[in-house]
Amino acid sequence: MAAIFWKSIKHYTRIPGSFAIYLALPFLFTLLIFGMGRFVGGGNASAYFAARTGTTNILVYEMLGSAVWMTSWVVVEDVGVSLRNEQVTGTLEQNFLAPIDRATLLVGMSLADIVITTAIFLIAVGATVALTMPTDILGLFQAYLMLLIGLIPLFGICFLFAGIIIRFKEPYIFVQIVNVLFAVLTGTYYPVALLPFWIRFLSGLLPQTYVIEDMRQIILANQNLVSLYGNVFVLFALALVYPTIGYAIFKRIERKASVTGEFSKY
Amino acid sequence: MNSQNTSSLSKICGEFKAAFLKDLRSYVRYPAWLLGEFISTPLWFFFFALGVTLFSPTNFTNSSVNSFDFFYFGFIFIILFSTAVWGIGQSIRNEQQAGTLEQFFLAPVNRATLIVGRWARVFLTDVLIIGYTTVIVYTLGNEQPVMHNPSLFLFSLGLYEIGLIGFGLFFAGLTMRIKSYNTLSNMVFFGYMILTGALFPIDVIPIPFRYISMAIPFTYFIDLMRNAALSTSTILPASTEYFMATILAFSMLLIGFVAFNKIESQARVKGTISAM
Repeated sequence: MAAIFWKSIKHYTRIPGSFAIYLALPFLFTLLIFGMGRFVGGGNASAYFAARTGTTNILVYEMLGSAVWMTSWVVVEDVGVSLRNEQVTGTLEQNFLAPIDRATLLVGMSLADIVITTAIFLIAVGATVALTMPTDILGLFQAYLMLLIGLIPLFGICFLFAGIIIRFKEPYIFVQIVNVLFAVLTGTYYPVALLPFWIRFLSGLLPQTYVIEDMRQIILANQNLVSLYGNVFVLFALALVYPTIGYAIFKRIERKASVTGEFSKY
Repeated sequence: MNSQNTSSLSKICGEFKAAFLKDLRSYVRYPAWLLGEFISTPLWFFFFALGVTLFSPTNFTNSSVNSFDFFYFGFIFIILFSTAVWGIGQSIRNEQQAGTLEQFFLAPVNRATLIVGRWARVFLTDVLIIGYTTVIVYTLGNEQPVMHNPSLFLFSLGLYEIGLIGFGLFFAGLTMRIKSYNTLSNMVFFGYMILTGALFPIDVIPIPFRYISMAIPFTYFIDLMRNAALSTSTILPASTEYFMATILAFSMLLIGFVAFNKIESQARVKGTISAM
């Protein structure tokens, strides 16, 4: 597992530009939304925003959503696409022939993502909170815990994607759809209450919805993990369900692929 | 002399047609791409629109122009811009990674024609996606599409596309020089969205940064297209801006073409065409 972890970290450090993009994107998206909002709302944009969200701190509100979205972007791309990249370069079959458990392979990649997402969180959210509301910096620790809990079910969802991508071999378009779906459904830049009821049901199935909502509550409304126990409980439940289902489906697709010879197919 | 000109023109047309058909064929071979673009494009629009809703008064309009139309046109400009960055530039990088770029460039055809053929395919599919997204977005938004001056809009769109081909050629050249192409293309794409007035007018941008916006040619193409479609006011007097945009569009095409040829011949000497 350590070897897989270090391999993934080395991949990141070899391409610093892509990591820099992950750090810059939350700020750039927030800037875009803010600019569009200023145009639509004019001088009263902040007041309209506060009336709908209960906070005047637009920057922190949007950055929290952005950062969580970006962490899920990283996880989806890494866990989902990396196996396909191995398939394309011809190393997937060799990796699967190695005497290591598939779960070790998947969890090793996921551990590397925890390091990357932590860096995104600390730089994007940490810097924003430290600059705009330094007295509330302690809330960051609880917000980070929420993110860590939320990553477990997200990894489960991505194990499922990894299996689907090995089967259907179209990772980039799949990742594109999943990323924009996550952005729309989880309330990245708005409360999910704005969405129609049936879409809110789908939002409730995604762990990032709870992570974003709770992070905003912790940092902007002085809540804590105890007062938000309902959502924490849901996240723990999702953390049990998704990895179990995701891994089971991955194994099923893997078994089928080993019979049909899909691993080495370009 | 005349027959020589005619035969070289028909040769270029033939190359263009072949490049266009080759790209179209490989595109329709991957229906997942088509399906994915048709699903994700309207979703991106709703994603931004919902984010902006938080800042809006209840009727979601401002005094001069309907924000819905304003953003929707901005969205179209972004789709078309992505043609230059990802449609043209990224395709060169993909060929480089797949190891086919050198073979592609060894073919006895004009490189620029091949790239313009690629652009034509992407433009065609962009138009289809824009049309489909327009129907979805306007139906769900319960709005009527607006187009005040279609001929002026088409003229401005033509200038924008000429500029985009030039920019795309320049970017395609860069792929042979820069290996972290994705980082650069993302930065350029966001720079475009934030600074050129695609999604909000440049007068929202604070003054020192607004000068950067005014130095970017795309700002004027966007401004003119929006002026033709929605009757928004222009940054400069309209006639001056049309004159300037025409000069800028053809200059960009020329610069892009020269830069691409120069980078390609350097890459050929250094052997970096196929270097990943």
